Amino acid sequence: MEQLIDILLLMLSSVLVQNFIFAKFYGICPFLGVSDKPATAAGMGMAVTFVITLSSAATWAVYYYILEPFRLTFLKTIAFILIIAALVQLIEMFLKKFVPSLYQALGIYLPLITTNCAVLGSALLNIQNGYNFVYSVAVGFAAAIGFTMAILIFAGVRARLQFAQAPKSFQGMPLVLISAGLIAIAFSGFSGINF
Amino acid sequence: MTILYAILWFAGIALVLGAMLALASIVFEVKVDPKIPEITEVLPGANCGGCGFAGCSACAEAIVRGDAKVTACPVGGQAVADQIASIMGVEAGSVTRMRAQVMCSGTRDNARQKYIYEGPHDCAAAMRLGGGPKECPNGCIGFGTCELLCPQDAIHVENGVAVVRAEKCIGCGICVESCPKHIIKLIPFDAPVHVGCSSLDKGALTRTYCEVGCIGCKMCTKVCESGAITVNGAIASIDYEKCTHCGKCVEKCPRKIIVFEEGKAKIEESVIEEAKVEEPINEAPDAVTPTSEEPTPAVITEKVKTEEPDTPTAPDSAENQAEETTPDSQTAENP
Amino acid sequence: MNKYVKQIKDSIVDQNPVLVQFLGMCPTLATTTSVSNAIGMGLAATAVLICSNVFISLLRKFIPKEIRIASYIVIISGFVTAVELLMKAFFTPLYDALGLYIPLIVVNCIILARAEAYASKNPVLPSAVDGLAMGLGFTAALILIASVREILGAGTWLGLRVTPAAFQPALIFILPAGAFLTLGLVSAAVNKGKDLAAAYADAHPKPEGVAVLPDEIVTEAPAAAAIESVAEAETPSEETHAPKTESAPTQQTDTVPTEDAVSAEPITPTAESAEESVKEETTNKESEETTNGTAD
Repeated sequence: MEQLIDILLLMLSSVLVQNFIFAKFYGICPFLGVSDKPATAAGMGMAVTFVITLSSAATWAVYYYILEPFRLTFLKTIAFILIIAALVQLIEMFLKKFVPSLYQALGIYLPLITTNCAVLGSALLNIQNGYNFVYSVAVGFAAAIGFTMAILIFAGVRARLQFAQAPKSFQGMPLVLISAGLIAIAFSGFSGINF
Repeated sequence: MTILYAILWFAGIALVLGAMLALASIVFEVKVDPKIPEITEVLPGANCGGCGFAGCSACAEAIVRGDAKVTACPVGGQAVADQIASIMGVEAGSVTRMRAQVMCSGTRDNARQKYIYEGPHDCAAAMRLGGGPKECPNGCIGFGTCELLCPQDAIHVENGVAVVRAEKCIGCGICVESCPKHIIKLIPFDAPVHVGCSSLDKGALTRTYCEVGCIGCKMCTKVCESGAITVNGAIASIDYEKCTHCGKCVEKCPRKIIVFEEGKAKIEESVIEEAKVEEPINEAPDAVTPTSEEPTPAVITEKVKTEEPDTPTAPDSAENQAEETTPDSQTAENP
Repeated sequence: MNKYVKQIKDSIVDQNPVLVQFLGMCPTLATTTSVSNAIGMGLAATAVLICSNVFISLLRKFIPKEIRIASYIVIISGFVTAVELLMKAFFTPLYDALGLYIPLIVVNCIILARAEAYASKNPVLPSAVDGLAMGLGFTAALILIASVREILGAGTWLGLRVTPAAFQPALIFILPAGAFLTLGLVSAAVNKGKDLAAAYADAHPKPEGVAVLPDEIVTEAPAAAAIESVAEAETPSEETHAPKTESAPTQQTDTVPTEDAVSAEPITPTAESAEESVKEETTNKESEETTNGTAD
């Protein structure tokens, strides 16, 4: 029971306090690239959640059953990235065959996720924090939910930014970044919470 | 030793992953009809959605599935339809090229605004405030949502009303869907006439808020030989299958709201000047005094030049006419 | 040699991967809390970039097309691991400060983009120079942003106090939110700088026969001539509001997006009459047409 509460609090902290985008800057490139429409943002968020959850499990297994026993932990970056790339490819093929509706929805975002900082970052973070299997998967999943939440909020903000009559040098990326900064200030309000 | 383990394990992992992927590519293979990529190649690739499907590859899939005709792509036209037909092994139909036309002529000078709008510069947003700042309930709001969305940069807001450059329009229909007032219509590319108004209000009411709006007087229907132009309620509309391009309705219309595209109908400069009220319509504090019930229409001096339908350039033709107008006709004074 | 110098200058100023192309923002935002971290990250990324570019360029003829992205990633991750271990051994404080962002150099968009776009198609030496150029551009951008954040957020630069004692640092700049704000404001400043430079170049055109215009600009010549004839017909516009289309023919570097300039040309008359509220010939012509068309 205590463990359950512990996991839940840890998940909540991954979503709010240690939000992947606004606190840790993982996954910024897709965050800024894909958030212009709410539909595409939702698709990206779902794809990221899917991949991070599965890769947390796979990378944890590889680290603790192959790399550690043979003292090859210094090669974890290479191993993890190999696993993630293969996993994404596999997921894409599996979805295309068995769940074509989901494949249509996630579509082009799946290959993009391979080079997403969020996936590799989440895997490395789990190792750094020394979580066991269940914690790793749960925290990974929660972090991805945090990413999705952030990208959806931002898609809404960007839809309004379209009509803003900003000075010429601010139009485009600068305005988007400043808006993200303001939301980050709001999220930093959570940082006082201790779990 | 560590190096040996590293090499062995990583080679092993790579082999296992590679084998898994190779197996997956066989087991999870999805058979794709080779016609689909072929048709996708042939389609213009603009992903404009004019066919009604989500992009060119979705259209290709629909054609192969049988849900769409080979003539589905409005942008590709006859050439693309023929190529698709040969891939599919069927006869091609014929494609009519369409273009978008904004059915409103209410510029800032001749249409009244009911309030001063301050808010997002977007038609959809302005619609929420009582239907937009223009008093006419079916008039172009003029904030350019259609302009933002046009993939060909063919539609622009000029003096408060959206105008389509016909030669650039590919007929994809994105502007038609984006207009919150639904006053942009797709008409055949060669159609030389259109009724530049969508106001459904009766004539007396229309006159109070627009100097050029259609008043539903039905003079055009009386003069039309083929019955192409009809008045439903208080607005005229043209059936392009029947229109013979004779231009008689254009001459007869007292409001000059039926527009002749190919080199516009020629009217003397003085008539245009007199048609304007002294004060701009929006600065008048009270309702604009309506002009007489049936103002005598100005006689059109020369018939329009017939030009190649493929190469009209609107600015050029406007300039040409301004120079060639001869001051022959009598013009009635507005009381 | 000159070509390489130009390439380096382009990557730092015109095609800066962070401030112009907006690639590689994860490390930019995360490691610019102090200038020393920024320099460390920048140099580490540059080292990886050069090595991976060279290696991929050497192997470009042997890697099959289908697995090229995966193989690039593996090669890059090999070099990143090497750099990481070196830093852990010789620059331990830096390694601790940068933390997880060192392994994340693997998925840095810049490195993969350069590998894909340049190294896989060019021989070894140009690829190496390209790696150096992009790396220096990245480092320069990082140093710029880190300087702003450190000076305003902590009052120091490279650890040395540079602000007067009365200055109270604004902590927000060190926090994650400050990273977004700083990057946004700096890129807005860069945009403004580019606009001013373009307007300056516009007002002081180079004498004839000086610069060799790249091919893309030459094909725009008819369009450029049309723009210039329209521009001359109008009263001179204010420099600060020079629209991009007018400055397109005079920009000589390969930063001019050809599609933008050419596609912008047909709408120049309407765009200018909308943007510039000065009563000019084109505006009158336009309103005349419109009244002709609508009053008919």
